[in-house]
Amino acid sequence: MMPRMAPRSVTVVGPDAAAAARGRQVLRIGVTGLARAGKTAFLSSAAANLLAPRTGLPVLSRRLAGRLVRVAIAPAGAESMPRFDFRRHLATLAADPPRWPARTEAVSLLALDLDIARPGLARALPPRRLRLEFLDYPGEWLLDLPLLGQDFRQWSEAALARLQTLAPLPARAFLDFLRALPARAGADEPLAETGHGLYRALLNRLREEGGLAMLQPGRFLMPAPGPEPPWMAFFPLQGGGGGLFRLLAARYDAYRRAVARDLVSPGFGRLDRLVVLADVLSALHAGPAAFADMADALGSIAEALRWRRSRTLRLPQLGTLRLPAWLGPGGIGRVAFAATKADHVAERQRASLAALMRAMTLLPDAAGEARAAVFAIAAVRCAEDFVWTLDGGNVAAVRGRVLGDERLTRSYPGEVPDRLPGAAFWAQPFLALPQFEPMRLPDGGAAGVPQIGLDALIGFLLDDVL
Amino acid sequence: MSFATTPRPRIEIEPATSPRLEPFVPLPRSRSAPGSLTLMLGGLAVLVVGFALLQIANFVADQFARGPLLGTLTLAIALGGLGLLGLAVWREIAGLFAIAAVDGLRADFASGDAERMRMAARSWLGRLPEGDQYAMIGASAEPAALLGLLRAGPVAMLRSQADALGREAAVQIFAATAAIPSPALDGLLVAWRGIRLVRQVAVLHGLRPGLLGTFALLRRALLSAAGTAAANLAVDTLARAVLSNPLLQHLAGDVAGASVAARRTLVLARVAAAACSPVPDA
Repeated sequence: MMPRMAPRSVTVVGPDAAAAARGRQVLRIGVTGLARAGKTAFLSSAAANLLAPRTGLPVLSRRLAGRLVRVAIAPAGAESMPRFDFRRHLATLAADPPRWPARTEAVSLLALDLDIARPGLARALPPRRLRLEFLDYPGEWLLDLPLLGQDFRQWSEAALARLQTLAPLPARAFLDFLRALPARAGADEPLAETGHGLYRALLNRLREEGGLAMLQPGRFLMPAPGPEPPWMAFFPLQGGGGGLFRLLAARYDAYRRAVARDLVSPGFGRLDRLVVLADVLSALHAGPAAFADMADALGSIAEALRWRRSRTLRLPQLGTLRLPAWLGPGGIGRVAFAATKADHVAERQRASLAALMRAMTLLPDAAGEARAAVFAIAAVRCAEDFVWTLDGGNVAAVRGRVLGDERLTRSYPGEVPDRLPGAAFWAQPFLALPQFEPMRLPDGGAAGVPQIGLDALIGFLLDDVL
Repeated sequence: MSFATTPRPRIEIEPATSPRLEPFVPLPRSRSAPGSLTLMLGGLAVLVVGFALLQIANFVADQFARGPLLGTLTLAIALGGLGLLGLAVWREIAGLFAIAAVDGLRADFASGDAERMRMAARSWLGRLPEGDQYAMIGASAEPAALLGLLRAGPVAMLRSQADALGREAAVQIFAATAAIPSPALDGLLVAWRGIRLVRQVAVLHGLRPGLLGTFALLRRALLSAAGTAAANLAVDTLARAVLSNPLLQHLAGDVAGASVAARRTLVLARVAAAACSPVPDA
């Protein structure tokens, strides 16, 4: 078992500086998600429930036994990072009729100040002052991590092979363009721009229409703030030692350097915890290709975060690139992989969902792994369990109101496998998840947001600081 | 109950409309049956009040038997006394209702409904002794702006005034407990000054609690602001731990105890202000 690691003390610059000046220990939690996993709902629910722990997070509250003295949204001060608009998102969920918060397109930060009394005899000492910073970290950026260990040729081969296997039809325009390129094309800027435009449009289409997640480079889908540098204009290209290939390879290397630079920047370079959200149930519905894509994405993220346990193998791959601070010693202490929308299947299937998530991230069983864990959560609960009599037998199902419909919709989407599904599973349909509306928020959200599993997840992330 | 092994997945819509789903909220723990002490005290109160009333009635009847003038005079005295008692009881109940009304205002402010929040703001500001100067807040259209203005204006003002009252009480307690030789008298003084402070803070917030109302407020303050109370307890525990050392106890003397009591008074003012304020924290 890996040793427990306390969050680092605050000797940082940039966004943490103001909090550090007030003597708070800062714990930064990156929250990232793959393809509409529910990051905004997660952040809104986490904040609302931490602000009302007694009703919102009863398990955590019981564990703290009244030691949580004060929780408040931290003032933004003069920090430059945009703040997560918690109040607006909560109001959207609490409205009648309710709506789901709009998808966030920009990076933002949610900061909460916690005062926690110390346990036992140390209670006489002043309470521990903690600042939790939830950083809305783009999932797309996390998928850039594997690029750090691949050169342009390796990446191009892998990316084009995936396109030909997973999406030959949508990718036809781009693949036709590649086939039409002269074997040793020169470093022609309009050609590079055209290929880049086609590839980028394809990535967007695969994400929006195909629901795919393993789309690289991630910054093509979620660009970094500010004007776009010229080295962004590249695309995967196989073979050839022509000028165009060398130009694209040089731009790819510049891109990797930018990725590494971003990972050590004050804004994004320091993460103490990481939450990776994925809508596994929708991937089961989308079919074997989409599911394999999500498994690839999760596996890649888990692998990139696992380097600490095999650093002798990984370091040579990193080559001359600067080591990301948040992967370095004293970096991410705990990683939670969470399958979202767990309320869309009955309680007895949620353990299978968590087990499936574990299989997708290739995490070993819980016994040997203290610093990474999997969860099946519903950050904002919208369905209730009920027993449905189907085909002469009783089935554990769920029901809720679909947005815009005042009638209850019953749903039994199918059985969730507890391991990577084989061919037999794909022979049966796994139905699409109905778009249920959120349950009514008690006291307009002031008493928290109904959830499943969020308690355990937050408890895991904060275990060593409570 | 039997579960089918491989039912076909399906999604169906129920024919009837249904209200929006509510989360399962555990029922509040039902109050346990009154304890023996409560029953005993209740019985005693019924006996004392009941027999006292009967006694008065009998006495008035006897006086009427002696003479109409004497009877009328006795009845007038009895009605006057009972009337004053009734008035006191009524004021106690009204005080209790006023405190309960804070919960109603809290619900209004948490509703997110702009009109309801504006009404609540106007109603609350109308009760505050210095509420007139913030009357413009009641016209604010945006719920978030309304709450922000209330927090920045009347709530901040009330908090600073409550702090001032707390400091004043703390100074008095510090001086008195350091000077009074008897620990029993110390405790009595601190208790009396604490209760008075709670009443002062309540009056500041437009509430006029009687004796029962004050105790209800004390209870609410301790329950609703467990955080501040925990901080208070922490200070208290620390002081007790330090003072349990005989040498330090000798050195520190009563002054340390007085400083703890004073500190507790300051905390009490804050806690009482939080309990009396219907505006939720940011």
